[in-house]
Amino acid sequence: MKRRNFIKRTLLGFSILPSEALIENTPGRPYTKSLFTDSSQKRLREIGIKIGNLQPGPYNAITDVEGVKVGHTTIIKGGGEKAVRTGVTVIIPHGGNIYEENVFASFFNLNGWGEMTGISSIENTGRLETPVFLTGTYNVGIVYDAAVKYLARISPKMGDSDRMVAPVVAECFDDFLSDTRSRQISEKDVFRAIEKARGGAVAEGAVGGGTGMTSFGFKGGIGTSSRRVNDKYKVGVLVMANTASRNQLRIDGVPVGKEIKGFQEKSGKTKSIILIAATDAPLLPYQLKKIAKRVALGLAQTGAISQTGSGDIILAFSTANKISRKKRVSFHNIKAINDFEITPFYQATVEATQEAIINALTSAQTTVGRDGNTAYGIPLDQVEQIMKKYMRIGIRSHE
Amino acid sequence: MNKKQKALETIELKLGKFPRGDKNSITDLMGVKVGHLSINKDILDPSGEKAVIRTGLTAVLPYPMEKEIRLFTGSLNLGGKNEVTGYEVMDDFCYLNSPIVITNCFNVGKAYNAILSYGFALKRTEIWPPLVIGVDDSYLDDMRKSHLDERDILETFLNASGGEVDQGSIGVGLGLRAFGWKGGIGAASRVFSLDKEKFTCGVLVASNHSNQKAMKKPEANFRSDDGEEDSLIMIIGVDAPLVPYQIKHITKSLVVSLPSTNLFKNSSDSMTCILFSTANPMCLENDGPFVFDFQMVDDSFLETVIQAAAEACHEALLNSLIKAAPVQGRLARRVETIPDHEINRLLEKFENQDLSDK
Repeated sequence: MKRRNFIKRTLLGFSILPSEALIENTPGRPYTKSLFTDSSQKRLREIGIKIGNLQPGPYNAITDVEGVKVGHTTIIKGGGEKAVRTGVTVIIPHGGNIYEENVFASFFNLNGWGEMTGISSIENTGRLETPVFLTGTYNVGIVYDAAVKYLARISPKMGDSDRMVAPVVAECFDDFLSDTRSRQISEKDVFRAIEKARGGAVAEGAVGGGTGMTSFGFKGGIGTSSRRVNDKYKVGVLVMANTASRNQLRIDGVPVGKEIKGFQEKSGKTKSIILIAATDAPLLPYQLKKIAKRVALGLAQTGAISQTGSGDIILAFSTANKISRKKRVSFHNIKAINDFEITPFYQATVEATQEAIINALTSAQTTVGRDGNTAYGIPLDQVEQIMKKYMRIGIRSHE
Repeated sequence: MNKKQKALETIELKLGKFPRGDKNSITDLMGVKVGHLSINKDILDPSGEKAVIRTGLTAVLPYPMEKEIRLFTGSLNLGGKNEVTGYEVMDDFCYLNSPIVITNCFNVGKAYNAILSYGFALKRTEIWPPLVIGVDDSYLDDMRKSHLDERDILETFLNASGGEVDQGSIGVGLGLRAFGWKGGIGAASRVFSLDKEKFTCGVLVASNHSNQKAMKKPEANFRSDDGEEDSLIMIIGVDAPLVPYQIKHITKSLVVSLPSTNLFKNSSDSMTCILFSTANPMCLENDGPFVFDFQMVDDSFLETVIQAAAEACHEALLNSLIKAAPVQGRLARRVETIPDHEINRLLEKFENQDLSDK
């Protein structure tokens, strides 16, 4: 009975969305509020669960790293066999022109069953020169193409007198909910995500690239979180979660996945997670590789084990040192955190990653997709009860 | 001696466009010192058996070791037949703060321990991890019986000098052979300019490779059944400001672009290339600052660094052959200095990248 009500409620919530919905960020909202205030889904902190010891930034999002902007285009079309539940999410690393002013970056290939284009350049030059796009597997070519066009537009010399660039496009397989082979994403969708990219609060769950993703046997998608370090720096993580199975799910150590009743989805297949970490602390590429590895530890704390079929790919970048292409200097003056002082950043990374992945779950609404396949939004009333049972709500206080 | 000089001149003509440093060695870098310990004796081991010891140790001190400093470092290991201690830190944290020691692979532990003793004696808070590279000199040396003495190793560190570097059959080079001829220690350096500023790239190699396949020649001392593992070690110092991703890029590009390493493609040789930059020292007295300020050359200059390093490596490798005196080793094995016509043949091979024996 309860279950039927839940489906009815969430389906109703879903049906009022237009056939092609565009969900934008609204800057200026406090982090505790979900952007879906009319829905039952919330961010983890809204139901009183705090992961770890460090304080989040003002929006508890990757955008707490100054200059980082996030934009989504959500594509929801039709139903039945031809249902499309896909989209694209873009992370713009800083306020300026990322091609003209590069930032240091590194990546970690936790389980290579996936795609993140542009990696060979990042590995060899240690820097990120493009926005980061997250989308469905078969959309990568189209998004890549649009990204090249966007970069060519903002940088007239690119590929002419200036170096070519390989955009970073990462994917997860959204086949369960979406007719992925139809590749119903266009250049315009990508440009629109870029245009709509904002700082401030970030829409989560079934939005942008996360529209068709499922995670831990529930509806997954985009999730984000951040942590402050030493009152001066921030570490933000944004994920596109489409991985792991239900019985693995742990929230703050509690085996929530095992305890939840009902809402069993048809398919329990695992299909990747892309994790992007950003920081405003000055870190060099080799240090960012360490951050990327700690992101993997945050993933592990949610219970995910990086199954064979899960392409778990991690990118970390730092906005502190900007290497300008225009200002041709022979010797760059750069800064880097002392390796002895880097540990708190690991703590921040692990906490923010865990919370981002869970935010992707708790923020995502039930979605009915291709062939009527249904991914349920995780039932928050049950989550709350389970967390109370394990004394994680209301009893344990966090610093 | 005249012949050798002649050979060197020929090489000079062929070896590129960058001028050499004053000492044409890794010691052209400010603060870098090199020390050798050679053990060349026939002994009776405790069980009364005769042992022919032709081994030693070569130490590169990348900066004055009493200072609490780290240098950005990168390494590339191909083949993996030589032990490299400190590799994990070099790979992950991208620094070194110990001497770089090359010795025979059974003495790696001794050398490792000696570096620790050295650091403790200097009252360094951290000299860990010791960076020791082990090579196989068992063709000439009774490696199983050749144990270095820690006191000798410490003396080698103390007596290391920033002057001209002895090359050939000295230090760890005593028992090494390359291309079937006597190999050993070689050094070279190049001066290059980036945006009108002059920089130096210095190299020290230990050649112990390409014995099995690359240069089959009846007169060369070639045996396929000696169980020896072949490897080439290259230690490169640069005083241009580089950061780790650039260093990694340089080591990779260098190793694939060296004409001499093309000989590797048909063989089972392994190679270790370690490159450090002396320009961004991280001073760690009182644990150092929260944030370091570094300089970094623009990526457009990396090509120049790679070319200069490639020339220096190439010459250092040839020096290791040309300057190596013949050595009589265990089992009455004798390895000769490479004759002039063979050097020319080798150079031709490098140039043509031709591995056939025709």
